[in-house]
This record gives sequence, C-alpha cells and structure tokens, in this order.
Amino acid sequence: MSIKFFWQIPTAGDGRYADAQKRIRGERSDSKPYFLPGVTDPRGRRFNYFDHLHQIAKAAELAKFDGLQVRNDPEGDESWIVAGYLSRATRDLTVLAEFDAARGSAVYAAKNAVSYQRFSGGRFAWQISVEANESQRRRNGDYVAAEDLNTRIEEFVTVARHVITQTDYDFKGKFFEVLKGGFQGPLSGQKVPPVYLSGNDEASYALSARVADVHVLDAQPLAGIRQEITRLRQLASTVGREIEIGIRLDVLARETEDEAIFDAKRYAEQSGQGKGFAHNALWSGLTTANTGALATLVGSYQQVSEGIAELAAAGVHHFILGAVPSLEEAYRIGENVLPQVRSLIAGTSQRAA
Amino acid sequence: MAIDVFWRIPTHGEPSSLRDKLHHRGDWSQQHGDHIVHKGLSGGHEDGFTNLDYIAEVARAAEISGFQGGLIPSFPMTDEPWAISSFLARETSTFRFMIAFQPGFLNPVVAARMTASLQRATGGRALYNVITGGGGPAQLWWGDVAPHDDRYARTTEFLDVLRGVWQGEKFSYKGKFYQVEDAALPAQLLGQEFPEIYFSGSSDAALASASKHAEYYLSWLEPFDQLREKFDRVKERTDALGRKIKCAVRVDIIARRTEEEAWREVRRGFENLDDAARERYKLFAQQTGDSVGAGRQRSNAPKELNDYRDFIIHPNVWSGLSLLRGGQTQGIVGSYEQVAERLDDLVKLGADAFILASTPHLEEAYRVGEEVLPLVRGHDSAPALRVVG
Repeated sequence: MSIKFFWQIPTAGDGRYADAQKRIRGERSDSKPYFLPGVTDPRGRRFNYFDHLHQIAKAAELAKFDGLQVRNDPEGDESWIVAGYLSRATRDLTVLAEFDAARGSAVYAAKNAVSYQRFSGGRFAWQISVEANESQRRRNGDYVAAEDLNTRIEEFVTVARHVITQTDYDFKGKFFEVLKGGFQGPLSGQKVPPVYLSGNDEASYALSARVADVHVLDAQPLAGIRQEITRLRQLASTVGREIEIGIRLDVLARETEDEAIFDAKRYAEQSGQGKGFAHNALWSGLTTANTGALATLVGSYQQVSEGIAELAAAGVHHFILGAVPSLEEAYRIGENVLPQVRSLIAGTSQRAA
Repeated sequence: MAIDVFWRIPTHGEPSSLRDKLHHRGDWSQQHGDHIVHKGLSGGHEDGFTNLDYIAEVARAAEISGFQGGLIPSFPMTDEPWAISSFLARETSTFRFMIAFQPGFLNPVVAARMTASLQRATGGRALYNVITGGGGPAQLWWGDVAPHDDRYARTTEFLDVLRGVWQGEKFSYKGKFYQVEDAALPAQLLGQEFPEIYFSGSSDAALASASKHAEYYLSWLEPFDQLREKFDRVKERTDALGRKIKCAVRVDIIARRTEEEAWREVRRGFENLDDAARERYKLFAQQTGDSVGAGRQRSNAPKELNDYRDFIIHPNVWSGLSLLRGGQTQGIVGSYEQVAERLDDLVKLGADAFILASTPHLEEAYRVGEEVLPLVRGHDSAPALRVVG
C-alpha cells in the first residue's frame, strides 16, 4: 500500500519561532513599521498571509509531499477558502481541508466539493473534526448536544456521498433532509472526497469504522498506536469495511540528534508549555496549540525517518506532518527525511515479500 | 454618484454564439442520454484544463474591459461561486467576485470567516448576491426545509449574525433560526471590508429583508414602466425604514455596430430554434413555483412562437431571450449607441448599477467594454465631452 505524506498548512500564523501564532508572515501593519525609519520598505500592504500560504503550498509540492492538510483553526483563515486558493496553485497535491460538520447544509457542502473536484482534477479531500469545547461551539453558532455530534457527522457524510453519486436521493435524518437530491449533468460522476475522521474514544472509532476512509490518530508512543489500530480494524471488519490509518504528527529533524534536542528545548521555552512527555524521541508541548499535534518526533534525520517508518510498518499510511516555520521545514523534511523514509519502507516491504 | 457595471460569469458553459446549439465551451454540450456529444475547450479535462480555465479567461476579460467584476450565479447544475472565487482569487487583479448564494445553506459564523478570508485572499474583492427565492421541491433538492416567507426571515437573521460577528466584539444573538454566544471573527480576520450586498427577491417578505441589509436591490429587466414602479416601491419602503437602498438591473444585451446587425443576430437565433426549445417555451409558459420574480417575467410573454418581432415589447427590448439560452427573458438589442441610451434610460428610472451579459461572454466582455460602456453617461447629465475619432 502506498504511503501518503501531507504537509500541514497553518491557517492561524506561521513564523520562525515555536509560538508561531504570533507571527502572520507577509502581513504589515501601518502603525508598526517593520524596518527602522532609515531603511525603505517597498512592500507597503501589497502582501498578506495568503502569499505566504501560497509559498508553503508550492514548497510542499516541490519537496514531493503528496498532499496539503489545511487546518480548521477558529483563530485563523477559513479552510475551504484556503483550500481553493491553494488548489489552483498546485498541480498534483491532494488538498485535505479540515472543517466542522456545523458549517451548514450537507448538500451545499457536497455541491461545493464537486466544484473543487472539477477544478482540481479530483484532488479534494475532507477531514471532518469535532469541536470538543462547548463554549467554542456556541461561538460558532452550534448548539447541537455533545452526544449528537457524531450522529451529525455520520448524516453529513451519508448525505454528501449519496448526492454526489446518485440522483433521486431521499434522506430524512435528525440534522439533514433531502428530496430527490443528486447532482446531474456536468456535475455528475465526480469523486466523493475521501473522508478523514479522528477522535480517540470508542464512539469515534465506531463512527470511523462505519463511514470514514481514514481515521487520523493523535501522536503517542507506538504501543498505544498499535492498540488503536487493532481496535479500529476490529470495528471496521464487524461492519464489513476496511479503514486506513493516519496520524497527526509534528516533526523536528536536524542533521544530528544533539542539534535537534537543542532546538527542541529552545522551542519548549518559546512556547512556554514545557516538556510534557518524552518517550524516546516523542516530545509534547514544543509548539503551540495551533498546529493541533499532540507530540513532536525529535531527532536526527535518520532517527525521525526511522520513527516514521516504524509507524508505517505498524499500519499508519497517511502522515499529516507539520513543523514551524512551515515553508523552510517543508523543504528540510522533503529533502532530508521523506527520501529516507521512502527507502526504509521500500526495504521493509521487499524483505516482507 | 457614478454607476457600477458588472459582467456575468457563464458557469453554465456556453455556445460560441446565440445561433449555436452546441455548448462548445465547458462540459455543457447537448446530451443524448448520459452521453456528452462534444467535449471541447476544457470540457473533457483530458488536456489537464477544466471549465475553470475558460471562466478565468472571462473574469480577466471583464476586468481588462473595465467591468467592476462579475456575478457568479448558483444553479443546481453549475459550479458554485464560493469555489470559483477562492480558486481564481490569485489570478485576477481588480475583478470583484459577486457570489450568489442562499444564506440558509451556510452557518453564518462560518460564512463570516469564509468571506473575511476571501477578502484577505483578494484584497477586498468579494461581494454578495443574496438569493432567497424559488421554492417547493426545488428547495428540498438543496436540502432546505424552510417555507418561502420563513426563508426571508432567515436571510435577515443570517445577515444580522454576519454583521454582528464581523466587528470582532463578542456578539450574542438569539433568533428563530440562528443562535450564537460571544461570537467574533478572530483578530487575524478583522478589518476587512464588509461585503456589499445585492439582494434579489420581489415579494413583500423579500423587500422587508432587503431594506434592512442590502446596498442594492437587484431586479431582472422588466418592462420599463413596471421596473420604475418596482424601484419606486422598493425605495419608498426602505426610506420608510430609515435606510437608503440603491437599485440594480441584471440584463442581457445584444449590441452591434448597427441596429440591423443586432436584430439579425436575434432573428437567426429565433429561426434556428429546435423542437426542444419550443417545448421548453411551452413548459415555461405553464411553469409554477412560488418565485414572484419568475411569475412577473412569464406574464409578459406571448403565448405562441410565430415571429421574433412579437417579442419586442419596447424599443430595443426583446423578451424572447430565454428561447435562445437559459435564464431571463428580456434583453436590450440594438446599436452600441441605442444600448447605451437604454441603459441611461434605466438609470433615469432608478438604476444605480448593472449586471450585463452577452453570449459568448469572453468576446462580448471586450465588445461591450470597448463599444458600449464608453457611451453610457450614468447620472452625469452634462453634455458628453468625450473626444471622438
């Protein structure tokens, strides 16, 4: 099975330091000139963060990633707009947009997705996430009861899949209703966006087993990952489905382990979160909450490559990787880690054959 | 105040002229069963291009020719304007994306984030065509269960919430359709221009909603006297609510160097009608639905198809356009000078903005931008001082 590497597009800021959220690269403020008065600044207000996001997307494509993951961050730019903007800027990358099922009509989302597929040559994918914080949900105009969140995702995915693939489709659920739905003419025959779900409780696993193409795990030591994979596969097989496994993982890779640890400590200071757990090379708390990863794989290029290859051997086939600053690190990881990982994985599968 | 002129984006693909039945552009060629006969000009995708590449050319043509931007419509069988706008943000310069959408399909807080991000991606070039009309089973196709008059109340609430969160202060709201608590756009998205709103809908419920939130009340072309009454009614109603609203006309035009050439274009299209188009006309004349605007258009149409001249309802106004292609029925036909004069007539009876269209939209954007727009005076009543020749 092929392994896919996604690079995360940080929608709420990116910069050189671990507390990346404070840095909106490309944006200038009239009140705070960036240069001292003795130096001219030709930029004016010509650029903003979108120009930087464009740079990251091109970097990820040139560095031979397979896709982009556009994070849904309530503090940042909206993921579908960013996804469309970056799809047009790239040729082959899968564009995985993360969003919440509270965004509105499932039919409308599916219809927009069909346009994304038509315009991108079928490169659009969905990562539907749940906002766990109730007050944040209310800020988002979402008053659905916590116990119904998974039901809404299931209905959303069910409706979207059917209106993309069928006509005369009727549905009446708790959250969505359709009569004689389905896209016709030029909008017919488009690829349903692959659905990525996540969550680390039994209900989320069961939901993924029923409707997800990929279940994205949080980073944690390998033993825990193996347990989750076993459980997900069990649940999927009881409903006669197969499910693929992904992981959300930050990476901090340097030429030597010493350099990586030095930078990891500096990042821990900058983010102010301190070091939570370090299990071999897995650190928590290095970057701020805006990357969404629970842990960072820290080490030399060789060590990080081996760590990723171990996960692949355990059954993880979709790696959503991220690091700050996203542009520079896309090249670093693309040049120094991905080639090693790919050859390690090729070697493993040859030995197995 | 100077008037704004927009173009329209042909999301439905298009033929190379009104006489041509094949949609050569995009993947909208006539279909026999499931088989699409013609797949040229990016409709087939084998060349790596898509219909978006043609749409991008039209958008570029519109901005180069001096249009503000373009209306991007939304129909069950066409691509969605939010998608088109985000994909084309970077390859246009001044083109303003007028996004047609039904507010009920989106969470207003999400829509606020989408819009603010689109403003950031485009340098403030997004605006709305808020649509609420249509009804019956068609609305359930979209997954929308709200009845007609409720939908306008919902539109009002949607825009209340959108405006509320746009300011960045904690905003709470409890309506019939939407509820939020301490909502606000994040700091990164603040300070963007709130999208200008072009509002469509002819019923009383629509006018009540428009008067609260819209900058422009948008109508199809109707017989001039009817349109004057309608605009007067809109302005009266909104003035009473303490808010000034402007009016805009969405109209197709066929402009040629001489009037004869323009009518010849119409005649050849009319003589070329096939049985399917005649059948469609019959259905159109019998159509039902709870859209008041569509009903107003139907009531002006002849019952039989005999001569194209039967459809001339006013000097330079032809009411048979929907025979030649989908969409509105009435359009302006004439020489460049006549079309400009009719547009100025519309300005006199209350129009402050236009959304123009003509087939094929790419070449015609240049023609109209180069030949007609330079002749339009708008509200400027001073004699034209333009250097000629």
